[in-house]
Amino acid sequence: MTASVTVPVDRFEHEALFYRGDADFLAGLLPFIRDGLEHDEAVVVAEPRPRLEMLRDALGSDAGEVEFLDMAEIGANPGRIIGVWAAALDRHTSAGRRLRGVGEPAFPGRRTAELVECRLHELLLNHAFDGGPGWRLLCPYDQEHLPRAVTQAALHTHPVRSTSTTRLPSDAYAAGGHVAAFAEGLPEPADAVLRGVYGARDISATRHTVAQWARSCGLPEERVEVLELAASELATNSVRHGGGSGTLAMWLDRGAAVVQFSDSGTFTDPLTGRLSPPLDSEGGRGLYLVNQLCDLVQVRSSDQGTTVRVLTWF
Amino acid sequence: MRAHGLVNDVPGAGPADHLCWVYEDDAAFDEAAREFLAGGLARGERLLCVGQRMIDSLRSVTDDVDTLIAAGVVETLTLADAYEASGPFVPEQQLAYYDAATRRATDDGYRGLRVLAEVSDLAADPVQRADLVRWEHMADGFAARGSGFSAMCAYRADLGSEALADVTAVHPLVHAPGDASSFRIFVDGHRIVLAGSVDTNSCDRLARVLAAARPHDGRVVLDVAGLEFMDVSGCRVLARWAADLEARSVALEVTGSSALLRRMWQVLDLARLAPVTFSGVSS
Repeated sequence: MTASVTVPVDRFEHEALFYRGDADFLAGLLPFIRDGLEHDEAVVVAEPRPRLEMLRDALGSDAGEVEFLDMAEIGANPGRIIGVWAAALDRHTSAGRRLRGVGEPAFPGRRTAELVECRLHELLLNHAFDGGPGWRLLCPYDQEHLPRAVTQAALHTHPVRSTSTTRLPSDAYAAGGHVAAFAEGLPEPADAVLRGVYGARDISATRHTVAQWARSCGLPEERVEVLELAASELATNSVRHGGGSGTLAMWLDRGAAVVQFSDSGTFTDPLTGRLSPPLDSEGGRGLYLVNQLCDLVQVRSSDQGTTVRVLTWF
Repeated sequence: MRAHGLVNDVPGAGPADHLCWVYEDDAAFDEAAREFLAGGLARGERLLCVGQRMIDSLRSVTDDVDTLIAAGVVETLTLADAYEASGPFVPEQQLAYYDAATRRATDDGYRGLRVLAEVSDLAADPVQRADLVRWEHMADGFAARGSGFSAMCAYRADLGSEALADVTAVHPLVHAPGDASSFRIFVDGHRIVLAGSVDTNSCDRLARVLAAARPHDGRVVLDVAGLEFMDVSGCRVLARWAADLEARSVALEVTGSSALLRRMWQVLDLARLAPVTFSGVSS
């Protein structure tokens, strides 16, 4: 590690760590974590298993000082992760401690649609934390097992790129990349799509339609109920904020039941639904709940309209 | 639990009946009224007909209305006598009146008091309707507590969807050919039961009805085992109600909630608004 690592920065530092194999992974992460502990920073590690255990074992007695989170759990839907970091930052900053995080959202074995959302999540992290309290977030990328497009994209989503031996600014990075990514269209469904239009009086009919379809797809009752709730909230959002009406589309995709809500509204804040809304605010709760309860949620919005796609894995 | 839900026909008469009857057609309504009143006569209850329309219906039950009235089996009140003569409509005064009338009936040897009331005119006025809804909920509690009071409340179908949703929401049993509330709230023993569905279109109505709920022994038990659906706006109404209750030192216990409702409560961090005890989770 270079000396610059030990100088606390006063801004958000979002860094991609490219690694090849277990030893390289540990060689990159252990100094980062130990350096944080030496500076009495609050260290939070969000990794998938078995890397979580690997790090814990390698840290030995230092592991007790580190908060471990299972990324496969908190980041199953990447739309939930920023809320976790925001809460940790808030908690530790108000206790007078700096935060240092490790987060590997784009880990090998994830589905294509999840990796697409991980990329948007990485971009939105910059938008969410740039300009706020200083903290460091290191995002490991497995160069051996991830698709090349995913590791390449990490150069665009992180202002700093590093390996276990180097640490450099990423030339490919440009601030504000989330704007285009958030406005991007989602891939069109390949299979037959059921479509319907809903308005203010159709919220209950819409959730019944979605629940019935989800049941007919063979989803377990618990997932059916979650989708029914998601349908109600998202149709309500279209009615309230999306021009008063919207279009429902439902189809089956590789291993997923997909339910999509589109309307003519535009999100003013791309972080809507990712951060826990304050208790006194009226809006933003529906999408936040959908993000928390559903398997994968893809939100895209531009002046052309808004689409919220909800995937439920079989 | 008391029978609840949407009904096509008048259910067999029992204690604590509280039936909302929305009617389009006079003939069909006369038949329902006849059924309801005949059930009361068979049970040995005193009948009280409120509104000229009801008194006319009674004449179709028996040719001998005047004899029954003379014998005290049947009492009649015009709407003006029942409501307007006592000044502005005040639910507490209504309760005092029906409490006394029910006691009088049981003191006179009747099994209870069965009231048939046509109150469309009160429901038509939005200001009076708020008090009417509060009164309906109080009356429901009065019936549920084993007082011997039971009632059929009749409303014209042309009152409009808002008014009909308001009044159908506060009866355990509802007959409505068209618009009805998506949820029902009623009293069962010392519990308040919330059944049906609540979403953004009905949550304000739920808030208004809950505000009329009365605690028992410093607490309120809300049974949601019959709740089929509740969205975020509905959860927030419950949480704000819990906060209002807490401010009055009343504890709220929610019983029979689904796993999903509890999960929503946790995700939305609603415990921060007010403490709510969840018990008796349903599957």
